[in-house]
Formats: sequence, C-alpha cells, structure tokens
Amino acid sequence: MEAIKQNLIDKLSVEQIKIELMRTAFGRQSTFLSRFDPRILIIWYSFFAIAPWFIHNKIILLGLLVPIIVLTLSSKVSPLVLIIMGVGLVSEISYILLGSLLFGGSLASFWPLMTLTLKILLISLASIAVFSSMDPEKLSDALLSLGMPAQFSFGVSYGYRMLPILIEEYHNIIHSFRLRGRSPQRKGIFGWRSLVYLAAISVRAFYPLILNTAKRTRTTVEALEVRGFTYSLVSPDAKKLKLAYLRIRPLDFVFLGCSLCYMIALAVAGQHFSL
Amino acid sequence: MSSLQHAAAATMTSRAADSSAPTPIIEMNDVSFQYPGAEGMALQEIRLTVQPGEFIAIAGTNGSGKSTLCKCLNGLIPNYYVGDLSGSIQVAGMDASNETVSSLSRKVTYVFQDFENQLVRPTVYDEACFAPLNYGYADYRQRGERALAMLGLEPLRDQWIWQLSGGQKHMTALAGALALDPDVIIVDEPVAQLDPYHAKLIYDKLAMLNKQYGKTIIVIEHHTEFIADYCDKVVLMDSGTIRWIKPVQEALSCVDELAALNILPPQVTLAVRNWEARRGQLAAATARQLYPITLAEAAVYFQKDMEAVDARQKGYQPQAALPSTEQAETISGRESQALSLFANPVPALAKASDAASPQELIRFANVSYGYKTITRALHPVIRDLNLSIYEGERIALVGNNGAGKSTLLKLISGIRRPNKGELTVCGRLTKRHSPEQLSEFVSFIYQHPEEMFIEDSVRKDVEFFPKARKKEGYSAFVDEVLERLRLTKLQDRDGRLLSGGQQRRATLAIGLAMRPTVMLLDEPTASLDASSRREMTAMLAELQDQVKATLIATHDMQLVAEWANRVIVMHNGRVLLDTDTRSLFRELHVLEQAGLIPPQITLLSDRLGLEPPCLSVDELQSRLTGAAFVDTAEQLPREEVITSGSH
Repeated sequence: MEAIKQNLIDKLSVEQIKIELMRTAFGRQSTFLSRFDPRILIIWYSFFAIAPWFIHNKIILLGLLVPIIVLTLSSKVSPLVLIIMGVGLVSEISYILLGSLLFGGSLASFWPLMTLTLKILLISLASIAVFSSMDPEKLSDALLSLGMPAQFSFGVSYGYRMLPILIEEYHNIIHSFRLRGRSPQRKGIFGWRSLVYLAAISVRAFYPLILNTAKRTRTTVEALEVRGFTYSLVSPDAKKLKLAYLRIRPLDFVFLGCSLCYMIALAVAGQHFSL
Repeated sequence: MSSLQHAAAATMTSRAADSSAPTPIIEMNDVSFQYPGAEGMALQEIRLTVQPGEFIAIAGTNGSGKSTLCKCLNGLIPNYYVGDLSGSIQVAGMDASNETVSSLSRKVTYVFQDFENQLVRPTVYDEACFAPLNYGYADYRQRGERALAMLGLEPLRDQWIWQLSGGQKHMTALAGALALDPDVIIVDEPVAQLDPYHAKLIYDKLAMLNKQYGKTIIVIEHHTEFIADYCDKVVLMDSGTIRWIKPVQEALSCVDELAALNILPPQVTLAVRNWEARRGQLAAATARQLYPITLAEAAVYFQKDMEAVDARQKGYQPQAALPSTEQAETISGRESQALSLFANPVPALAKASDAASPQELIRFANVSYGYKTITRALHPVIRDLNLSIYEGERIALVGNNGAGKSTLLKLISGIRRPNKGELTVCGRLTKRHSPEQLSEFVSFIYQHPEEMFIEDSVRKDVEFFPKARKKEGYSAFVDEVLERLRLTKLQDRDGRLLSGGQQRRATLAIGLAMRPTVMLLDEPTASLDASSRREMTAMLAELQDQVKATLIATHDMQLVAEWANRVIVMHNGRVLLDTDTRSLFRELHVLEQAGLIPPQITLLSDRLGLEPPCLSVDELQSRLTGAAFVDTAEQLPREEVITSGSH
C-alpha cells in the first residue's frame, strides 16, 4: 500500500513535471499553427487575447471557442497543461456555483459569471495553442521584428536556453535539502505536515538558485561582450541579417483572411441569434 | 641542489630571442594593469611576443594574472574592465589602445574556463552562428557551418545545448569562437572542467587548427602533461609578472621551480629526475638541463639507461622490457617487494572467499533505472545491475560520460529509485524510504559544490543535518569537523564565494557532519588545481577512519591509482570490470573502451614492460632501482625527491 502510494507520488513528481515542461518547450513538433509566420501569429493572437473582453454575445464567444479548441488539439499540447487547466476550470465553476447558491443567489447570478469563465477559457486556450506551436526562438525574432528592443527579445531566447539548466539545478538543490533535512515524523492528516515541509523546501530552494545564477552571469556578460552582442545592438546589419529569414507568405494571408471571414460570419450570426 | 642551479641558469637565459622573426601577431610592451579598487597590480611590465602559428601555454598559480593577460588581448581590458592600463599592445597589426572589444575580439577569440556560461543560444548551430551574426557577416550561416565542420560537430548541429555533455559543450564553445575565423584562439584551462579523455580531444582539435589552419593558439594551462604533448612554448607567470618564456622542454625541465609554484611537471619528467637524483648521477650528469617530457621520450630514455646500467653492472639483470624466462623470476621477485611496500592493502576480491567476510552494506539486486526523455521514451541508464558493497571498501567508479556512475550514486542516496529490482542500503530498501531517512546512513557529495550550499554560511551548511535532528552537543562536533577540514576561519563565509579547493573542503565537511556509514562522492577532484587536488586526495585517504565505505565516481586516474582498493568500471549502465587498481591498469583495452586514460606513469611502466604496471612515480622508481640502488637512495636527502602527488 505504502509502495503504491509512493509510486503515485513519483508519477506526479517534480521529474514528471519537468519532462512535460521540457516537452512543451523543446518538443519541436510541427503543428498546424507552426507553419505560419510568427509575426502573423502574434497579431492573430493579440486579437484573441483582447477581443473576448469586449464581446458579450455568448453565441459569438461559443463560436470562437470551437475553432480555438480545434487549434489547441492540433497543437499537441502536453496533457499536463490541459489537466492543470481542466482542474482550474472545474474548481472555478464549482466555487461560483456554490457561492451563488450559498449566498442566496440563484442561477441568475451564476450565468454572467459563467460568461467570464468562458472568456478566460477562450483566452487561455488561444495562448496555449499559439505559444506551444511557436518555438521561442521564432517568438523572439518576431518580437524583435515588431520593434521590441533587442535586449528583450534576446532575453526570451536566453531564458529558453537556460530553462532546462535552471530546472535541473533547482531540482538538485531541493535534493540537497532533502539529503540533509529531516521530514516530519508524523505526517498529519492527509499528510499535511509533509506537504508543508516539502512546500517550505521548494520555496527555500529558490534562494541558492538565484545566487548561483547571479554568480554565473559574470562569464555570460563577458562572453556577450566579446561575441559581439553589444555590437549588434547598435549595428542595423545584424538585425537585418537575423530577421532575413522571416517571410510573410500567401499562406499567412489565407490564414488571416479565413479567420476574418469566420469572425464576420459569427458577428452576423450573433446579430440574429442570442443565448 | 645542482638542479636548482640549472633552473636558475635556465632562468637567466630565458627570454627566447625570437624578436628577429617577422611581424609578430601579438606584441606586448611594458604592459601593466591595475583593476579599479584593487590594491596590487594585476599585471606588471609584461613583455610578450607571439609569432603567428605558435602554440603557447601560459602557466602560473591562481591569481598570477593569466586570465588578466589574455583579457588585454581581446580588449575586455580596458574597455570592459576599466582600470589603469599602461604600455603598448599590438594585436594582429592593430594598436589595441585605438580599438574596441568588437574589433579586437574578431581577431582574438576566447573560450572561457566555465565555458557553459558562454553558451547563450539554444542549439549548437545557433551558437556557432551567433558571433558572426552579431558582427553582421552576411555569410554567418556558412561561417557557422564551416566551424562545425572543422571540429566534426555536424552530427550535433541541431542538438539543444542542454542535451550536450561537458566535452561537447566545450567543442561548441570552440566552434562559436572559430566561426569568426580568428587569428588567435585563447582557451582558458580546458582540462580543468573536462575529463582527461575529452580534454585530449579538445587538444587534438586545437593542434589541428594550429597545424592545418595556421591559427595561433594560447592556452592557459597548468596540466603539464598536456603542455608537453601539444605546446611549443611556455610562459610562466607569477604574481602579475612573466617569470620566463621558454621552449617547452626547457620549461618543463625546471622541475623544482615549477613545483615551488604548485605546478606539477609531467609524471615521466619527475620519474627521470628522481631517478637521476636517486642514482646520485645528478652531479655527474654534468649540467643536464633537459629532461624527457613526453611518454615516448621517457620510454626511450629509460630503455637506453637500463642498457647502460646493465653494461656497467655485469651480473645484474636488466629491469626493462623484453622479458625473457630468466628475467621473469627477477621481476616477479621485485614485484612482491614493491607490492608489500606500495600496493593497496587487501584487494577487494579477496572478501568473497573470506569466511569472516565483512559486513555487506549495499546490495543491488537486478536493479534497472532509466529516465524519460522529452519524447517520453525511457532512456535506460542502469541495466540489470547486481553488485554488493562491503565494509572497508574504497571504491572508485570509473567510466565514460553517460556510463551511469552518477546515477548509481543517486540511487544509493535515495534521490532516484530503481524502476526494477531491489536496492538495499544498510538494511533498508531504498524504495520504501525517503532520502531523509536514508541520509542517516549515506551522505552524498555532489559534483557541483554550489548546489550543496543551501545556507548563507559554511557553518550553517555543515550543521544543517545535526541541527535538524537536534543531535546533542552538535555544536562542538561541528567545531571539530570544521577544524579538521581547516574551515574554522572560513565558517562565516558564504560557500559560493570560496575558491574551488575550499568549496570541496566545505562539502566534505557537510558530509562528515552527517556521520555517515557510507560516503558517496561525485568527481571530488574535478576542476581543482594541482595543490588542491593533492590536498583532496590526502583528505579522502583520511576518510576511511570516519566511514565504513566510500564510493567515488571519478575520471581522475591518479586518484584511482593512489586511493582506491576496488575499482568498478562502468559502461552503458553495466559493470564492465570489477577489480583492484593494479589489475585495472593491466586491462588497457578495457580502459580504452570505457574512454579512460591511465596515469602517465602507468603507461610508461607498461612501455618498459613492467608487469604489473606501476601506479606511482615512487613505485616505478623503486621497482626500477631494485635492491642494487637502495643504499644510494637512503643516503639522499628527502627534499631531493619530489613525489608525484595527484595531478
């Protein structure tokens, strides 16, 4: 019994989460969305991130949800991400329901709150679909091309490079705590003492991580200097060269056009029907 | 005595007179530099001329100004580190004082000591293209590709940086430097962070770049065995000044001078030097200035010398090579003598047959372990392993990268659990116990000390374990541990800010404060300089009174030779060989398969046909000398013989 429990904990372990995270970031899968120019995707995404806040028609919102769900599924998103989202969604809906019923409300107050949930769902799914399809390198280049400062776009891609190393180091530091620490003798109800113990470690492990990172950046900064990064910030050639590969092709316009047509159709439909 | 005089004489004739040659690629004249806010000068009156196509080693102790010197060449000093710089520096036809970092560092590229932090891009290919892209070369892709091709890195082209091994990362950093098509490549301590096998690969590539492409190579290096094999010239630095510049053989023959600066000469050079000293030939050898510095040279030397000795002393059997039936007896006779003097006590293999066998501490029963890769496929690391570890064992785990050494240690410590099979540690199944529970018996010292410093002072780190367990009187015990490891003065410092050797000592203190039954250490001598390494080896030898068994995963074959009493060679997650040190070095093909390089002295004794091979310079000495020379040896003052230490 104990072994099975331990096994289950292992399955939900840091290790597992690590793999899923890495998979999301470094999976290198080609998906439907990854075919398009990253700048087009960013523009497309920014519409879906903002527009839902100003749309109150549920028909339109639900109409938007359908293609977004399809796109999310086509992006081969890690199940872990979907599960986390699912858990978040279910718990949100249930607490809204409980809240409105407990405090004397009725379904009348429940409905508008559900609209909010729907909007949030829409936006999060769009984010997941776009960002898991777009490799951070392309994102970084797209940002640069759209006029973001080079330091910022470099930061995105450097973060991408460092992520696995930081995760690994964080994990090792947590082990360091565990290899010297002492877990609570009595686990408490639902193992709350153990949970508190582990939670405390996972927070404390950030400090050594941050200090170690600060230490190692010294070389990084020198290396950036000698490898011409500072030079590239002031030279227009480097930027031009770097972004030369980004091309907006007819396919991108087709994608934008289709999206636009769909939106118009939805808007028309929203005029005639309502929920 | 007289060797010191030689050294002094050599110093006098030092400054190589090669100013006659045409336009040097680097010319430094009376260069001095002081870091802002620093008290002393970092560089003082440096005069250095480097011709195109030279392969130069800069040696010196920590803080002697080696890196500072090199940073003057690519403009980091004084553009990035603003300080007081005087004197003139000419690099590739440019006057450095009029140039920027960006113009200089296209001609002079730099591979840092902690090269991992110099890699800033996600993939190998991106990394190779990074610098040319930044400098706006339209052909940056071709440059990147070409650099990868020159180093044979095409197969890794699309790999993520984080997936690479240390050696591959270093190659990638080199490719990133090479892509600029520089005239000068500076590599800062390549051997420090790599195992000898991969360090050799890097040096082979550097030699190729030097010969085939005419690149000028400057390495900051104190591993003299590499200097001897690859470099033309040695620049010896000492507290900010250049002590001398000499051709490599002359430089490495200054055995005593180098040793005084904590730079150990090649083992073979030491062997020859001690051999001559012991035979009392030093004076007679009439101002011999040059010793053999490479394995091949030393082998020739000893073979010749043996023959000479043999001719002189008729009736005494020659000790070297070409074993005949007559000699076999002599050698084996001497072998037993040497074994009694130098061999490690009780080969581990004896325990199986021993009736009163020592306590079994750890048992692997059909253990397999693997981890999931990002394709969710299981990557096996340990395959169906059966192994027992007993009290009193000092085990060296050796094998190439990815052989499963570190994973084996992690399994014992409980931070990894077997996928299959059962692993028992001190009577407890690791599956059923948390790392916290296992830590009562096992302490695991990581390869990277920074990952063990979880508090803000050394003392707090050392007392973390006993304090968490509220051990009685732990404070006094911690005092004692700190004292034993000479950390008392450093106890309030943050572990991260200590030097490499101090960090290792601190992690050892952390381990000892846990009063473990079994101690696990992952690469305890990696990236240490010669003196810290020697110190570490000595401390590891003391461990055996504190713990019942020790396991060390290492690439350091000298440590293996001098410390272990059982060696486990791992390959692809399996045990390839489980033996004692002496038999290990007999199995040269197994070592080769596992990507291991035996100590130079072992290779030398192998070339001389000594069976079994010797493990240390002293041992070679005594085996070669045999009974005939024992008397002279005893008369020799102790200081005359420099022992090899760990290197």
